[in-house]
Amino acid sequence: MANSSSILQQLGCFRSLVSRPNTMLQTPSVAGRRMLSTVWSAKPKPVPLPKELPEQFLAQLPHRMRPELAPKKRKIPRPPPGPACKDPVGEVVQRQLKKLDPFGKRRELFDYRRHARSVKPGDIIRVTFKNGDPFSGVVLSIKLRGVDTSVLLRNQLTRVGVEMSVKVYSPNVESVEIVQRTEKRKRRARLYYLRQPRHDIGSVENIVTKYLRQKRALTGGVKSNKKR
Amino acid sequence: MIQLKTMLNCIDNSGAAVVECVQVLKKKRPATVGDRIVVVVQKQRSFGADSTGNSGIANKVRRGDIRHAVVVRARKELQRPDGSIVKFDDNACVLINKAGEPIGTRMNGVVATELRGRQWSKILSLAPMHV
Repeated sequence: MANSSSILQQLGCFRSLVSRPNTMLQTPSVAGRRMLSTVWSAKPKPVPLPKELPEQFLAQLPHRMRPELAPKKRKIPRPPPGPACKDPVGEVVQRQLKKLDPFGKRRELFDYRRHARSVKPGDIIRVTFKNGDPFSGVVLSIKLRGVDTSVLLRNQLTRVGVEMSVKVYSPNVESVEIVQRTEKRKRRARLYYLRQPRHDIGSVENIVTKYLRQKRALTGGVKSNKKR
Repeated sequence: MIQLKTMLNCIDNSGAAVVECVQVLKKKRPATVGDRIVVVVQKQRSFGADSTGNSGIANKVRRGDIRHAVVVRARKELQRPDGSIVKFDDNACVLINKAGEPIGTRMNGVVATELRGRQWSKILSLAPMHV
């Protein structure tokens, strides 16, 4: 009994073995299928053009391969010769300074790091403009920025605080006079605390008028501004 | 930088002392010197006998009035074409009527020169001082 069953099993196995190729043929498995795009093939090596190609075959070549249509070599211009400027901005600034301040007087007056007799924060100065109206005030700060050097003045006009930042080298500035120097050297470069009511100096008009009267007495009534 | 809710000093003798900005006209930005704004009078000046009124210097405006005004001083710094910068310690304005004439007859306080180029020469000439 056992024998017969084993034989039957073997037979069954055999049948299955025999039948498998048939089923494979009927429904091939999905994994076994291969798309055309995934088929790898080596890149064909470019065949060099024959040296002496007859004239009549040239028309059959693709455009990029035709000798007369090949991309031309691009011309790259060389940098222009001449001395390279290390600091062009600095050069322009120097040129401007030379033009606006030919004798370096303004520079002497405001470059407080190099000149001992220059304007310093806390001084009272009077600036006269080309259009005629002067402005005087306490120097709160001096911004040294080459040709853009400016000075911030503060004053009180009709009991209202007014601040004015003046470009020192501006051609609109006709003259700058030091009305009064600070008694004591200020320990700060920027006296912004003078904006607070408890530190505010107030109007400097009295000091300026006194100075102007003195100046007029000394110069014999002739109104002339100390040009700087 | 005068915009909605900014409180300004009124420096003419129209009777207003402190006004509040409620609108900046012809501009999508905060107002500065020379700009026209709409204000509400918040505090009026007291000229001694203010209840009697007709004593020569009557208040032309009262608290709560809505008026037009021109900004004459601004805290925000203002740059001039030559690069110089001007700034004041307060914001101030002058009340005007719809036609653009000042309501007050006198002004006290410095104003900015920028008013000249913007049809406010009359205000500039009324001011005791300009910067």
